[in-house]
Amino acid sequence: MKNKIFGPLNEETTKVILECISDGVFTIDYNWEITSFNRAAEEITGISRKDAVGRHCWEVFRSNMCEAECALKKTMEEGKPFISTSGYIINSKQKRVPITVSTSLLIDKSGDVIGGVEIFRDHSLVEDLRKEISAGVNIEDMVSTSSAMKKTLNILPQIAESDATVLIQGETGTGKELMAKAVHNISHRKSAPFITINCGALPDTLLESELFGYKKGAFTSAEKDKPGQFSLAHGGTIFLDEIGDTSPAFQVRLLRVLQDHEYTPLGGVKKEKTDIRIIAATNKDLSAMVKTGEFRQDLFYRINVIAVKLPPLRQRMEDIPLLVERFVSRFNIRRNKFIQGIDQKVLHTLMNHDYPGNIRELENIIEHSFILCTKGYIQPAHLPIFLNAEPLDEDPSIADETKSGDPVRAAQVKLILEALKRNNYNRTEAAIDIGIHKSTLFRRIKKLGISL
Amino acid sequence: MKIAVTIWGNRISPVFDASSNLLIAEIENSIVVSKTFKTINPDTPETLVNLLTHLGVPVLICGAISQKASDTILQSRIELISFVTGNTDRFLESFALKNGIEKGFMMPGCSTHYCRKRNPGATIF
Repeated sequence: MKNKIFGPLNEETTKVILECISDGVFTIDYNWEITSFNRAAEEITGISRKDAVGRHCWEVFRSNMCEAECALKKTMEEGKPFISTSGYIINSKQKRVPITVSTSLLIDKSGDVIGGVEIFRDHSLVEDLRKEISAGVNIEDMVSTSSAMKKTLNILPQIAESDATVLIQGETGTGKELMAKAVHNISHRKSAPFITINCGALPDTLLESELFGYKKGAFTSAEKDKPGQFSLAHGGTIFLDEIGDTSPAFQVRLLRVLQDHEYTPLGGVKKEKTDIRIIAATNKDLSAMVKTGEFRQDLFYRINVIAVKLPPLRQRMEDIPLLVERFVSRFNIRRNKFIQGIDQKVLHTLMNHDYPGNIRELENIIEHSFILCTKGYIQPAHLPIFLNAEPLDEDPSIADETKSGDPVRAAQVKLILEALKRNNYNRTEAAIDIGIHKSTLFRRIKKLGISL
Repeated sequence: MKIAVTIWGNRISPVFDASSNLLIAEIENSIVVSKTFKTINPDTPETLVNLLTHLGVPVLICGAISQKASDTILQSRIELISFVTGNTDRFLESFALKNGIEKGFMMPGCSTHYCRKRNPGATIF
């Protein structure tokens, strides 16, 4: 080690460091023109160094802070650095990229100020993690390039603002609940609860007590008053999923609430006022059910004030690459992996499937692939067998699992069986191979019903 | 013909999503004959669309714009010319003469795709 670096770094070393770091760095002169632009800045903004150098910083950086709260301007005016101001930039793909910014003056050897330096960090991952933890849903979370979906998404703010009852119709797995949450989260009710009730999952009497609550003594085990979801969601939104599966008797009670904004808890004598917004959803054709008398016409008109129809995935296949990118990024966060994306052959296979389970099915396919793919790009061999992505020479027991229609379970079975095979059915070795404890492997074998 | 430009002082605003000032210019015989100024809320592009439609302005010129805001504007009959930069007066003069955007008024990163878009189903009124 002859050439040890002591003291101030020379220009070349500084250049190398700037090119290696993951924070975007650019410098400006007194005319606000960019004089240097590092590799990370190119990546975050999507603008090449060649295009950036010599341009005004606001033409390249394009941040919401440029006009009113430019950190560099403050630094230049006050002569002091600013650390970690938050905002966003608009990159060359028209995406809002959340960032934090730090700025400082550039001073030459003689102590004269020659410009400023701005260091910015892409906070997309932190934002994604924050959303993952809080499970918040925004319109931005509903991605689409299809014109039908775009039209719906564009009117969502007006729908949210209106406070009217909304009926969301669409096949299973098209994102009805996600849309309901998005409407709630941009409405004035966003700070109040959003409660989901699956009407199809509960018998009539239970559904009524769940929604309206009951008074002490209403029935044998009613030992004390229990508030219903209408009371708990006061000021918020109730999402009634599978509304088409409700009985005529329940439909009458719901109609009353929607008309009079009041209800009587089971066993109660006094009416209680309610201030909630109802968003209903169904995968059935309610207008056809009205004609056959299965659904009350008056309730249909009450909930059908604003109707939103979510197209099935097979009618918006152009969204598949975008959705896949979103799922890959989400599962990378959840599973602490760094999968880079999907192989072209995988995209081809995905584009040729008709998705009876819609977006949920696509999400499950990606989740399945995440279990089998350890790094790089997802390959055809990582896809569930039912997609026939690659001729497979598989264990028949794996194929049986896949036929059962649960791709995630099938992937887990496949992972374990393959590890066992590789290790001559030595369970301890197989557990080490897939990175889990021996007892966890035993538990999984039992839970998944794998016969050895 | 009327055009609207989101502005920041004497420049075209760098980011539509954070711009609060709008200039509406009227062009006749390749000359800018009048200018009016309005305050806007960039968080509700649909309100801006209504305003432009009400005022009979068929073209909106702005700086960088997010996909979401761009989609909202393009759902209307308004033609959107985005990723434009430079001095507002000089840009207006140039636009009035050529009814197009000179390369020097384009933001970097926009040269590969001309950022002039219109809803395919829309007709300019």
